Amino acid sequence: MFEAFTNQPIRLIGEDGSRTQPFELDLSVDELLQIHRDMIRARVCDERLIPILRQGKTSFYAQSTGMEATQIGIAWGVKKKHDWFWPYYRDNGLLLTLGMPMGRWIAQLLGSNEDVCKGRQMPQHFSDPENHIASICSAIGSHIAPAAGTAIAQKYLGTDEITVCTFGEGATSEGDWHAGVNMASANKAPCLFICENNQYAISLNVKDQTNSKNIAVKGHAYGIPGFYVDGQDVLAVRAVVKQAAEYIRAGNGSVLIECLTYRIGTHSSSDDDSRYRSKDEVESWRAQDPLVRFERFLEKEGILPAREEIEAYYGSVLAEFEEALQKSDASGYPTWEILFDDVYSDLPDHLAQQALYLREENL
Amino acid sequence: MTMQSPEKPSAAPVRKPLNLIQAINEAMREELLRDPNVLVFGEDVGKRGGVFLATEGLQAEFGNKRVFDTPLSEASIVGAAVGMCIRGLRPVAEIQFADYLYPGFDQIVSQAAKIRYRSGGGFYCPMVIRTPSGGGVRGGNHHSQSPEAYFTHTPGLKVVMPSTPYDAKGLLKEAIRLDDPVMFFEPKRLYRSFKEDVPTEDYTIPFGKAAIRMEGSDITLIGYGGVMPDVIKAAEALKAEGIQPEVIDLRTLIPWDREAVLASVAKTGRVVLISEAPRTSNFMGEVAYVIQEELFDQMLAPVVQVAGFDTPYPYALDKVYLPGPNRILRAAAKSLGY
Ligand SMILES: Cc1ncc(C[n+]2csc(CCOP(=O)(O)OP(=O)(O)O)c2C)c(N)n1
Repeated sequence: MFEAFTNQPIRLIGEDGSRTQPFELDLSVDELLQIHRDMIRARVCDERLIPILRQGKTSFYAQSTGMEATQIGIAWGVKKKHDWFWPYYRDNGLLLTLGMPMGRWIAQLLGSNEDVCKGRQMPQHFSDPENHIASICSAIGSHIAPAAGTAIAQKYLGTDEITVCTFGEGATSEGDWHAGVNMASANKAPCLFICENNQYAISLNVKDQTNSKNIAVKGHAYGIPGFYVDGQDVLAVRAVVKQAAEYIRAGNGSVLIECLTYRIGTHSSSDDDSRYRSKDEVESWRAQDPLVRFERFLEKEGILPAREEIEAYYGSVLAEFEEALQKSDASGYPTWEILFDDVYSDLPDHLAQQALYLREENL
Repeated sequence: MTMQSPEKPSAAPVRKPLNLIQAINEAMREELLRDPNVLVFGEDVGKRGGVFLATEGLQAEFGNKRVFDTPLSEASIVGAAVGMCIRGLRPVAEIQFADYLYPGFDQIVSQAAKIRYRSGGGFYCPMVIRTPSGGGVRGGNHHSQSPEAYFTHTPGLKVVMPSTPYDAKGLLKEAIRLDDPVMFFEPKRLYRSFKEDVPTEDYTIPFGKAAIRMEGSDITLIGYGGVMPDVIKAAEALKAEGIQPEVIDLRTLIPWDREAVLASVAKTGRVVLISEAPRTSNFMGEVAYVIQEELFDQMLAPVVQVAGFDTPYPYALDKVYLPGPNRILRAAAKSLGY
C-alpha cells in the first residue's frame, strides 16, 4: 500500500529501468507491452501535430511529450468507459488511451465536419460522450466543481463509478479548484483529483505558483489523502491511481494525486519557452524521457520487443494517423448553417431571425 | 490632450510608428517611469513579457517588485489590486484574455466597482484591468469573446476599447491616472495589424470623447474596437458610390460621447451601429435607445444594428461570425433605402 503525504515522490522504477523496491507486478506481459504501445501512440500523435500546425491546418496545439507516463498511467489505473472524466486540454495521451479514436481526436484539432464538437471549440478542447469524457473548457480550473458534481451524482445514483479530474499545477491557484475540491470532499464524493504537475504554468515555475512544499499536501486542508508520485514512472502512476480508485470505490470519499512531470515542448504553439527556462533544464528532463525509462524496464525484465518490431509499430501508428488526417480533411469544414444549432434545445425566435439573415447573406 | 498644435511646424512633436501593442507597452512604460506607485502584474507579464508581449521588457527595466507574475488566479489578481488601491498604489493588472475575466468577476463587480460608493467616497480604486478581447484570431469561444456589456452594465466601472495605436496609448495613460477602476479592452486582432505615428512626448486622451474618423452628411456609422477597420472599409465603399458617410469611433463606452453621436445623427438622420459582441443586450442597444429618445423626429430611417450573433463564438466559423464590411454595407443599404 502506498502512503499519502510522502516527502519523496512514490516511484517503482528508477531511471535506469530497474525496480527501486521489490513489488509484485499485477500486469501480464501483454499488458505491459500494450502500455508501451500506448505511450508510443501518444508520442507519435503529439509530434505529428507540429507539421500540421505549420501547414495552417490547425491554429493551436499544446504538446504533451514528456508527460506520457503520467497520462497513460492514469488511463491504466481507472476503468475505461465506466468511470467518468473531466480532463484538461493537454491530456492527449490520456484521451487516446481511454479509447478516444485517433480520427475523432484529429477531427477536433482540425475542426472539420467529422469533429463531434462541430468545429465549435478551439483545437484540443475535446468532448467524447462515448468514452465518458466531458467537454474540455479553456477557462483554467472551471471544470473542478463540475467534476465534484459528477462524483456527487455517482454517489447519489449508487453506482460504483468514480470521477477523474485532471489539471495542471497552475489550476490549483484558481478559486474554483479550492471550491471544487472542498465540495467533493465535504460530500465524500467519489472523485479522484489528479494534478499533472509539469512544473510550469506557461512561464511561471511551480515554486512561484505556490508556497506549499508540493501540490499533494494541499489534500491536508480538505481532509483527503494526497499522494505525491513520480510522474515519469508509468507503473507508479498506474499503481497509485489504481489504489486510490479502489479506496474511492470503497466509499471513502475523494483523493488528490500529484504526478511530478515535465513538458518538453513549449506551453503551446504560440509560446517561446526560452524566455523563462534554460536549455540545460529542458535537456536534463529530455534525458529523463519516461518512454525510454519504461523501455529500459522492459529490457531489464527481458520483454522489450526487438527494435525492428518497435519501429514497425511506430510506422503503423504513423500510417493510421495519415489516414485519419486525410479522411478528416476530406470531410470538409462546417458552413454557416450550423452556427445556430445547439445554442438551445430549440431555436428561439431571435435566433431564427438571425439564421434567416445569414441565409439571405449566403444566397 | 497636451499635444502640440500642428500649426507650429517648428514645435511639431516627435512621432514614431507603433502598432497597437507597442503603444500599450509604451504607455505602461511611461507611467511606470512617471509614478512610483504604478505597478504592473498578472499571469506571465514578467519574464515572458505577456503572452501577447504587451509587457515585454518592463520587468527588465523596472524590476520584479514593480512588474511581476502572479499565480494563476484572476480573483486574486483583481482582488489584490483593489487592496493595493486602498493602500495608495495604482495597479495595472493584466487578465490574459477577456474570456478569463469571469473567475475575477465577483472581485470586479462587488469590490472594485462599488467600494467608492459603499464607503461614502472614503475609499476608491485607481486601477486598470487590461485585457485582450474580441475575435478574428481563430481562438474558438474561450479566446474570442467580447464581454464588455457585462461591465458597462456595472455602475462604478469605466469601460474603454481603443482601435488605433495613438488612441491606445493616450487612453491607457489616462486610465492609469484616473481615480476609477477602468476596464481596458484591447482588440487583439488589431494588435499588430497596422502602425501609426504616435507622439513620443506625454499625452493623454480624455474619456467620453469619440473620434470622428470620417466626416459626411448622408449616414452615420458608429463602432468601437476590433470592427473599426471594417467600418472604415465599408465607409470607403459607400463613398465610392457617391454617398457621404460619417464614421464615429466611440473609443470609450463608459462614459460615451452622446453629444458627438447625437450631433452626427441629427445631421445625417441615418445610423448604423456596429460591434462584434452578441447582439442581445449589446452595449449598442443603449446607444440606439438614446438616439431614438433624443432624435425620434429627425430620423429618416430606423436605427440599424450590426453585431455578432447570439451564439457562443465558434472556432471554424470565425469569419462567418464577425461582421465584416459586407454586413455593414448591407445594413447601410437598408437604412439608405428606407
Ligand atoms: C481562467 C484562465 N486564466 C488564464 C488562462 C490562460 N492560460 C492558459 S494555460 C495557462 C497555464 C496553465 O498551467 P497549468 O494549469 O499548470 O497547466 P499546463 O498548461 O502547464 O499543463 C494559462 C495561464 C486560462 N486558460 N484560463
